Amino acid sequence: MKRPNEIEREEVAMSTLVELTSVFEGIASMRIAQIKNQVLQATKFFDDLWHIYSQLRVDGLFRFGRSQSEDNVSDKELYIIITAEGGFSGDIDQKLIHYMLKTYDKEKNEIIVIGHHGAIQLAQRGISYKKYFKLPVKDQNINVTPIIREVQKYKTTAVYYQEYISLMVQDVKRIDLAAAVKEQSKQTTETEEIISEFNYIFEPSTYDVVDHLERSMMQIAISQLILNSKLAQYASRFRAMSASHQRADEAKSDLHLAYNRAKRGIKDERLKEIINGLRKAKAEV
Amino acid sequence: MSDSEQPNESTEKKQDDKVDTGDEDHMHVKVYAPFKVYFDGVATSISAVNDTGPFDILPKHHNFMTLISQGEVIVRTDKAEEKFKISHGIMHVKADDVVVFLDV
Repeated sequence: MKRPNEIEREEVAMSTLVELTSVFEGIASMRIAQIKNQVLQATKFFDDLWHIYSQLRVDGLFRFGRSQSEDNVSDKELYIIITAEGGFSGDIDQKLIHYMLKTYDKEKNEIIVIGHHGAIQLAQRGISYKKYFKLPVKDQNINVTPIIREVQKYKTTAVYYQEYISLMVQDVKRIDLAAAVKEQSKQTTETEEIISEFNYIFEPSTYDVVDHLERSMMQIAISQLILNSKLAQYASRFRAMSASHQRADEAKSDLHLAYNRAKRGIKDERLKEIINGLRKAKAEV
Repeated sequence: MSDSEQPNESTEKKQDDKVDTGDEDHMHVKVYAPFKVYFDGVATSISAVNDTGPFDILPKHHNFMTLISQGEVIVRTDKAEEKFKISHGIMHVKADDVVVFLDV
Protein backbone atom coordinates (compact mmCIF):
# COMPACT_ATOMS: atom_id res chain seq x y z
CA MET A 1 0.00 0.00 0.00
CA LYS A 2 1.24 3.49 -0.91
CA ARG A 3 1.99 5.98 1.82
CA PRO A 4 -0.35 9.02 2.09
CA ASN A 5 2.38 11.59 1.31
CA GLU A 6 3.25 9.61 -1.83
CA ILE A 7 -0.41 9.69 -2.91
CA GLU A 8 -0.63 13.37 -2.01
CA ARG A 9 2.29 14.14 -4.37
CA GLU A 10 0.55 12.21 -7.16
CA GLU A 11 -2.67 14.10 -6.48
CA VAL A 12 -0.87 17.44 -6.76
CA ALA A 13 0.66 16.33 -10.10
CA MET A 14 -2.78 15.24 -11.31
CA SER A 15 -4.25 18.62 -10.26
CA THR A 16 -1.67 20.31 -12.50
CA LEU A 17 -2.75 18.07 -15.36
CA VAL A 18 -6.43 18.91 -14.71
CA GLU A 19 -5.61 22.63 -14.82
CA LEU A 20 -3.45 22.25 -17.92
CA THR A 21 -6.10 20.34 -19.91
CA SER A 22 -8.66 22.90 -18.78
CA VAL A 23 -6.45 25.73 -20.11
CA PHE A 24 -5.95 23.96 -23.47
CA GLU A 25 -9.68 23.30 -23.63
CA GLY A 26 -10.33 27.01 -23.01
CA ILE A 27 -7.81 28.16 -25.63
CA ALA A 28 -9.26 25.79 -28.25
CA SER A 29 -12.77 27.00 -27.48
CA MET A 30 -11.70 30.64 -27.78
CA ARG A 31 -9.92 30.03 -31.11
CA ILE A 32 -13.02 28.27 -32.44
CA ALA A 33 -15.16 31.34 -31.71
CA GLN A 34 -12.58 33.67 -33.36
CA ILE A 35 -12.17 31.59 -36.52
CA LYS A 36 -15.92 31.08 -36.91
CA ASN A 37 -16.35 34.85 -36.92
CA GLN A 38 -13.57 35.27 -39.52
CA VAL A 39 -15.09 32.62 -41.80
CA LEU A 40 -18.38 34.54 -41.71
CA GLN A 41 -16.72 37.87 -42.51
CA ALA A 42 -14.74 36.45 -45.44
CA THR A 43 -17.86 34.75 -46.81
CA LYS A 44 -19.65 38.11 -47.11
CA PHE A 45 -16.69 39.58 -48.98
CA PHE A 46 -16.54 36.58 -51.29
CA ASP A 47 -20.28 36.83 -52.03
CA ASP A 48 -19.90 40.45 -53.17
CA LEU A 49 -16.94 39.56 -55.37
CA TRP A 50 -18.75 36.57 -56.85
CA HIS A 51 -21.77 38.75 -57.60
CA ILE A 52 -19.60 40.90 -59.88
CA TYR A 53 -17.76 37.93 -61.37
CA SER A 54 -21.00 36.09 -62.19
CA GLN A 55 -22.14 39.14 -64.16
CA LEU A 56 -18.82 39.14 -66.04
CA ARG A 57 -18.80 35.50 -67.06
CA VAL A 58 -21.13 34.47 -69.83
CA ASP A 59 -19.80 31.04 -70.88
CA GLY A 60 -20.02 29.41 -67.43
CA LEU A 61 -16.43 28.14 -67.56
CA PHE A 62 -13.98 28.56 -64.75
CA ARG A 63 -10.46 28.90 -66.20
CA PHE A 64 -8.42 29.03 -62.97
CA GLY A 65 -7.26 32.54 -63.93
CA ARG A 66 -5.11 31.30 -66.82
CA SER A 67 -7.15 32.35 -69.87
CA GLN A 68 -4.16 34.31 -71.21
CA SER A 69 -1.43 31.91 -70.09
CA GLU A 70 0.39 29.79 -72.67
CA ASP A 71 2.08 27.48 -70.13
CA ASN A 72 1.49 23.75 -70.47
CA VAL A 73 -1.12 22.34 -68.15
CA SER A 74 -0.56 18.88 -66.62
CA ASP A 75 -3.26 16.24 -67.18
CA LYS A 76 -2.69 14.91 -63.68
CA GLU A 77 -5.09 15.82 -60.92
CA LEU A 78 -3.54 17.79 -58.08
CA TYR A 79 -4.47 16.80 -54.54
CA ILE A 80 -4.15 19.46 -51.87
CA ILE A 81 -4.43 18.09 -48.34
CA ILE A 82 -4.87 20.45 -45.42
CA THR A 83 -3.63 19.04 -42.11
CA ALA A 84 -2.50 20.37 -38.74
CA GLU A 85 0.95 21.81 -38.14
CA GLY A 86 1.59 19.86 -34.94
CA GLY A 87 0.46 16.48 -33.72
CA PHE A 88 -1.80 17.94 -31.08
CA SER A 89 -5.03 17.80 -33.03
CA GLY A 90 -6.66 14.50 -32.16
CA ASP A 91 -7.10 11.79 -34.79
CA ILE A 92 -8.54 13.93 -37.59
CA ASP A 93 -5.35 14.06 -39.73
CA GLN A 94 -5.07 10.27 -39.87
CA LYS A 95 -8.70 10.13 -40.97
CA LEU A 96 -8.02 12.69 -43.72
CA ILE A 97 -4.96 10.85 -45.10
CA HIS A 98 -6.84 7.55 -44.99
CA TYR A 99 -9.70 9.16 -46.93
CA MET A 100 -7.36 10.66 -49.54
CA LEU A 101 -5.56 7.34 -50.09
CA LYS A 102 -8.82 5.68 -51.15
CA THR A 103 -8.62 7.45 -54.52
CA TYR A 104 -4.91 8.25 -54.75
CA ASP A 105 -3.02 6.83 -57.73
CA LYS A 106 0.62 7.94 -58.07
CA GLU A 107 0.37 7.79 -61.87
CA LYS A 108 -2.63 10.12 -61.98
CA ASN A 109 -2.20 12.35 -58.94
CA GLU A 110 0.32 14.66 -57.36
CA ILE A 111 0.10 15.85 -53.78
CA ILE A 112 0.66 19.20 -52.14
CA VAL A 113 0.48 18.97 -48.39
CA ILE A 114 -0.31 21.86 -46.06
CA GLY A 115 0.67 21.23 -42.44
CA HIS A 116 3.68 19.40 -41.01
CA HIS A 117 1.63 16.66 -39.37
CA GLY A 118 0.24 15.59 -42.75
CA ALA A 119 3.74 15.57 -44.30
CA ILE A 120 4.94 13.25 -41.50
CA GLN A 121 1.92 10.99 -41.92
CA LEU A 122 2.58 10.67 -45.67
CA ALA A 123 6.30 10.04 -45.13
CA GLN A 124 5.47 7.28 -42.62
CA ARG A 125 3.33 5.63 -45.29
CA GLY A 126 6.08 5.99 -47.92
CA ILE A 127 4.02 8.35 -50.11
CA SER A 128 5.94 11.14 -51.81
CA TYR A 129 4.47 14.61 -52.20
CA LYS A 130 5.41 17.40 -54.57
CA LYS A 131 5.44 20.29 -52.15
CA TYR A 132 4.87 20.99 -48.51
CA PHE A 133 3.61 24.29 -47.11
CA LYS A 134 3.39 25.23 -43.45
CA LEU A 135 -0.12 25.68 -42.13
CA PRO A 136 -0.48 29.47 -41.77
CA VAL A 137 -0.25 30.55 -38.16
CA LYS A 138 -2.41 33.63 -38.65
CA ASP A 139 -6.07 33.43 -39.53
CA GLN A 140 -6.29 36.63 -41.57
CA ASN A 141 -4.79 37.61 -44.92
CA ILE A 142 -3.41 34.13 -45.50
CA ASN A 143 -0.97 34.22 -48.41
CA VAL A 144 -1.99 31.35 -50.68
CA THR A 145 -0.40 32.78 -53.85
CA PRO A 146 2.30 30.02 -54.04
CA ILE A 147 -0.45 27.38 -53.83
CA ILE A 148 -2.48 29.10 -56.57
CA ARG A 149 0.63 29.13 -58.79
CA GLU A 150 0.84 25.34 -58.40
CA VAL A 151 -2.91 24.90 -58.97
CA GLN A 152 -2.66 26.73 -62.30
CA LYS A 153 -0.24 24.09 -63.57
CA TYR A 154 -2.88 21.34 -63.36
CA LYS A 155 -6.04 20.66 -65.27
CA THR A 156 -8.02 19.87 -62.12
CA THR A 157 -7.47 20.18 -58.41
CA ALA A 158 -9.15 18.44 -55.49
CA VAL A 159 -8.83 19.72 -51.96
CA TYR A 160 -9.00 17.36 -48.98
CA TYR A 161 -9.91 19.26 -45.87
CA GLN A 162 -11.43 18.94 -42.45
CA GLU A 163 -14.87 20.30 -41.86
CA TYR A 164 -16.23 21.65 -38.65
CA ILE A 165 -19.77 20.41 -38.13
CA SER A 166 -20.10 21.04 -34.41
CA LEU A 167 -17.87 21.21 -31.36
CA MET A 168 -18.11 17.46 -30.95
CA VAL A 169 -18.38 16.42 -34.62
CA GLN A 170 -15.74 17.02 -37.32
CA ASP A 171 -15.58 15.36 -40.68
CA VAL A 172 -13.09 14.94 -43.53
CA LYS A 173 -14.14 16.05 -47.01
CA ARG A 174 -12.98 16.30 -50.61
CA ILE A 175 -13.99 19.10 -52.96
CA ASP A 176 -13.06 20.00 -56.52
CA LEU A 177 -11.50 23.48 -56.40
CA ALA A 178 -13.64 24.96 -59.20
CA ALA A 179 -16.68 23.54 -57.38
CA ALA A 180 -15.35 25.02 -54.13
CA VAL A 181 -15.38 28.47 -55.72
CA LYS A 182 -18.96 27.95 -56.88
CA GLU A 183 -19.87 26.41 -53.51
CA GLN A 184 -18.69 29.59 -51.79
CA SER A 185 -21.04 31.57 -54.00
CA LYS A 186 -24.18 29.54 -53.32
CA GLN A 187 -25.56 32.23 -51.04
CA THR A 188 -25.48 34.89 -53.76
CA THR A 189 -28.50 35.58 -55.86
CA GLU A 190 -28.39 34.96 -59.58
CA THR A 191 -28.40 38.06 -61.70
CA GLU A 192 -29.49 38.65 -65.25
CA GLU A 193 -27.27 41.66 -65.78
CA ILE A 194 -24.14 41.15 -67.85
CA ILE A 195 -20.99 43.20 -67.49
CA SER A 196 -19.25 43.53 -70.84
CA GLU A 197 -17.11 45.91 -72.86
CA PHE A 198 -20.31 47.40 -74.26
CA ASN A 199 -21.46 48.87 -70.97
CA TYR A 200 -18.22 49.03 -68.96
CA ILE A 201 -14.72 50.46 -69.19
CA PHE A 202 -12.07 47.88 -68.19
CA GLU A 203 -8.51 48.64 -67.20
CA PRO A 204 -6.10 47.11 -68.17
CA SER A 205 -8.45 44.74 -70.11
CA THR A 206 -11.49 42.50 -69.65
CA TYR A 207 -9.38 39.32 -69.62
CA ASP A 208 -6.95 40.77 -67.09
CA VAL A 209 -9.83 41.64 -64.80
CA VAL A 210 -11.51 38.21 -65.22
CA ASP A 211 -8.22 36.36 -64.62
CA HIS A 212 -7.51 38.47 -61.57
CA LEU A 213 -11.00 37.86 -60.20
CA GLU A 214 -10.68 34.09 -60.75
CA ARG A 215 -7.31 34.00 -58.99
CA SER A 216 -8.72 36.10 -56.15
CA MET A 217 -11.70 33.82 -55.73
CA MET A 218 -9.51 30.72 -55.72
CA GLN A 219 -7.37 32.40 -53.07
CA ILE A 220 -10.41 33.15 -50.94
CA ALA A 221 -11.82 29.64 -51.48
CA ILE A 222 -8.52 28.00 -50.42
CA SER A 223 -8.15 30.39 -47.48
CA GLN A 224 -11.67 29.51 -46.40
CA LEU A 225 -10.91 25.78 -46.65
CA ILE A 226 -7.75 26.32 -44.58
CA LEU A 227 -9.75 28.25 -41.98
CA ASN A 228 -12.41 25.53 -42.00
CA SER A 229 -9.71 22.89 -41.43
CA LYS A 230 -8.19 24.93 -38.60
CA LEU A 231 -11.64 25.23 -37.07
CA ALA A 232 -12.08 21.44 -37.24
CA GLN A 233 -8.56 20.90 -35.84
CA TYR A 234 -9.27 23.19 -32.90
CA ALA A 235 -12.58 21.41 -32.33
CA SER A 236 -10.80 18.05 -32.50
CA ARG A 237 -8.22 19.38 -30.01
CA PHE A 238 -11.03 20.67 -27.82
CA ARG A 239 -12.63 17.23 -27.90
CA ALA A 240 -9.32 15.49 -27.05
CA MET A 241 -8.62 18.01 -24.25
CA SER A 242 -12.15 17.70 -22.94
CA ALA A 243 -11.77 13.91 -22.71
CA SER A 244 -8.29 14.26 -21.10
CA HIS A 245 -9.67 16.82 -18.66
CA GLN A 246 -12.46 14.46 -17.65
CA ARG A 247 -10.05 11.52 -17.27
CA ALA A 248 -7.58 13.61 -15.26
CA ASP A 249 -10.39 14.86 -13.04
CA GLU A 250 -11.59 11.31 -12.39
CA ALA A 251 -8.03 10.16 -11.66
CA LYS A 252 -7.62 13.08 -9.25
CA SER A 253 -10.82 12.10 -7.40
CA ASP A 254 -9.62 8.47 -7.20
CA LEU A 255 -6.28 9.60 -5.82
CA HIS A 256 -7.98 11.80 -3.26
CA LEU A 257 -10.08 8.83 -2.17
CA ALA A 258 -6.98 6.62 -1.97
CA TYR A 259 -5.20 9.34 0.06
CA ASN A 260 -8.06 9.53 2.57
CA ARG A 261 -8.16 5.74 2.82
CA ALA A 262 -4.41 5.53 3.39
CA LYS A 263 -4.57 8.28 6.00
CA ARG A 264 -7.44 6.60 7.79
CA GLY A 265 -5.60 3.26 7.59
CA ILE A 266 -2.63 4.79 9.41
CA LYS A 267 -4.92 6.36 12.03
CA ASP A 268 -6.69 3.02 12.55
CA GLU A 269 -3.32 1.29 12.90
CA ARG A 270 -2.22 3.83 15.52
CA LEU A 271 -5.53 3.52 17.35
CA LYS A 272 -5.14 -0.25 17.39
CA GLU A 273 -1.63 0.09 18.80
CA ILE A 274 -2.87 2.45 21.55
CA ILE A 275 -5.75 0.17 22.48
CA ASN A 276 -3.46 -2.86 22.54
CA GLY A 277 -1.00 -0.88 24.66
CA LEU A 278 -3.75 0.12 27.09
CA ARG A 279 -4.99 -3.50 27.29
CA LYS A 280 -1.48 -4.68 28.02
CA ALA A 281 -1.01 -2.03 30.68
CA LYS A 282 -4.39 -2.93 32.27
CA ALA A 283 -3.47 -6.63 32.34
CA GLU A 284 -0.11 -5.90 34.02
CA VAL A 285 -1.88 -3.83 36.71
CA MET B 1 -7.09 54.00 -40.92
CA SER B 2 -10.59 53.68 -39.56
CA ASP B 3 -11.27 50.58 -37.49
CA SER B 4 -14.98 51.14 -37.85
CA GLU B 5 -16.91 48.17 -39.11
CA GLN B 6 -20.15 50.14 -39.22
CA PRO B 7 -21.23 52.28 -42.13
CA ASN B 8 -20.43 55.99 -41.65
CA GLU B 9 -23.71 57.12 -43.10
CA SER B 10 -26.62 55.06 -44.14
CA THR B 11 -27.41 54.61 -47.81
CA GLU B 12 -30.37 52.95 -49.37
CA LYS B 13 -30.60 50.97 -52.58
CA LYS B 14 -33.53 51.69 -54.83
CA GLN B 15 -35.26 48.92 -56.75
CA ASP B 16 -33.31 49.67 -59.96
CA ASP B 17 -30.01 49.25 -58.04
CA LYS B 18 -29.26 52.96 -58.16
CA VAL B 19 -27.81 54.06 -54.86
CA ASP B 20 -29.65 56.82 -53.06
CA THR B 21 -26.95 59.19 -51.81
CA GLY B 22 -29.21 62.17 -51.20
CA ASP B 23 -28.16 64.28 -54.20
CA GLU B 24 -26.25 64.20 -57.48
CA ASP B 25 -22.95 65.40 -55.98
CA HIS B 26 -22.46 62.34 -53.84
CA MET B 27 -21.93 58.64 -54.32
CA HIS B 28 -21.80 55.58 -52.10
CA VAL B 29 -18.28 54.26 -51.47
CA LYS B 30 -17.26 51.06 -49.76
CA VAL B 31 -13.60 50.16 -49.23
CA TYR B 32 -13.08 46.78 -47.61
CA ALA B 33 -10.94 43.66 -47.28
CA PRO B 34 -12.10 40.13 -46.33
CA PHE B 35 -11.72 40.83 -42.62
CA LYS B 36 -12.11 44.59 -42.32
CA VAL B 37 -14.28 47.44 -43.57
CA TYR B 38 -12.19 50.61 -43.98
CA PHE B 39 -14.87 52.93 -45.27
CA ASP B 40 -18.58 52.57 -45.96
CA GLY B 41 -20.57 55.73 -46.58
CA VAL B 42 -21.33 58.72 -48.76
CA ALA B 43 -18.41 60.48 -50.48
CA THR B 44 -17.82 63.21 -53.03
CA SER B 45 -14.87 61.52 -54.79
CA ILE B 46 -12.40 58.67 -54.61
CA SER B 47 -8.85 58.53 -55.98
CA ALA B 48 -6.54 55.58 -56.56
CA VAL B 49 -3.72 54.37 -58.82
CA ASN B 50 -3.89 51.74 -61.56
CA ASP B 51 -1.50 50.58 -64.35
CA THR B 52 -2.25 53.77 -66.32
CA GLY B 53 -1.55 56.09 -63.38
CA PRO B 54 -3.53 58.02 -60.75
CA PHE B 55 -7.24 58.48 -61.42
CA ASP B 56 -10.32 60.01 -59.75
CA ILE B 57 -13.88 58.82 -59.66
CA LEU B 58 -16.61 61.44 -59.30
CA PRO B 59 -20.39 61.02 -59.12
CA LYS B 60 -22.05 60.06 -62.44
CA HIS B 61 -18.90 58.22 -63.59
CA HIS B 62 -19.36 55.65 -66.37
CA ASN B 63 -19.48 51.98 -65.32
CA PHE B 64 -15.89 51.03 -64.68
CA MET B 65 -13.79 48.08 -63.48
CA THR B 66 -10.07 48.27 -62.81
CA LEU B 67 -7.25 46.51 -61.01
CA ILE B 68 -5.78 49.01 -58.60
CA SER B 69 -2.06 49.11 -57.86
CA GLN B 70 -0.03 49.71 -54.73
CA GLY B 71 -0.45 53.22 -53.38
CA GLU B 72 -3.06 55.30 -51.61
CA VAL B 73 -6.81 55.21 -51.93
CA ILE B 74 -8.23 58.60 -50.96
CA VAL B 75 -11.91 58.97 -50.11
CA ARG B 76 -13.20 62.55 -49.87
CA THR B 77 -16.37 63.32 -47.96
CA ASP B 78 -18.04 66.65 -47.15
CA LYS B 79 -16.33 66.71 -43.78
CA ALA B 80 -12.94 65.10 -44.31
CA GLU B 81 -10.54 63.12 -46.42
CA GLU B 82 -9.61 59.54 -45.57
CA LYS B 83 -6.45 57.92 -46.88
CA PHE B 84 -5.72 54.20 -46.95
CA LYS B 85 -2.42 52.65 -47.95
CA ILE B 86 -3.06 49.57 -50.05
CA SER B 87 -1.01 46.88 -51.79
CA HIS B 88 -3.51 45.89 -54.49
CA GLY B 89 -7.22 45.55 -55.15
CA ILE B 90 -10.16 45.73 -57.52
CA MET B 91 -12.46 48.72 -58.02
CA HIS B 92 -15.99 48.41 -59.34
CA VAL B 93 -18.00 51.53 -60.24
CA LYS B 94 -21.65 51.34 -61.20
CA ALA B 95 -24.44 53.89 -60.89
CA ASP B 96 -22.80 56.05 -58.20
CA ASP B 97 -21.86 52.98 -56.23
CA VAL B 98 -18.10 52.43 -55.83
CA VAL B 99 -16.80 49.24 -54.24
CA VAL B 100 -13.09 48.72 -53.62
CA PHE B 101 -12.07 45.16 -52.79
CA LEU B 102 -8.69 45.23 -51.06
CA ASP B 103 -6.07 42.46 -50.73
CA VAL B 104 -7.47 40.52 -53.67
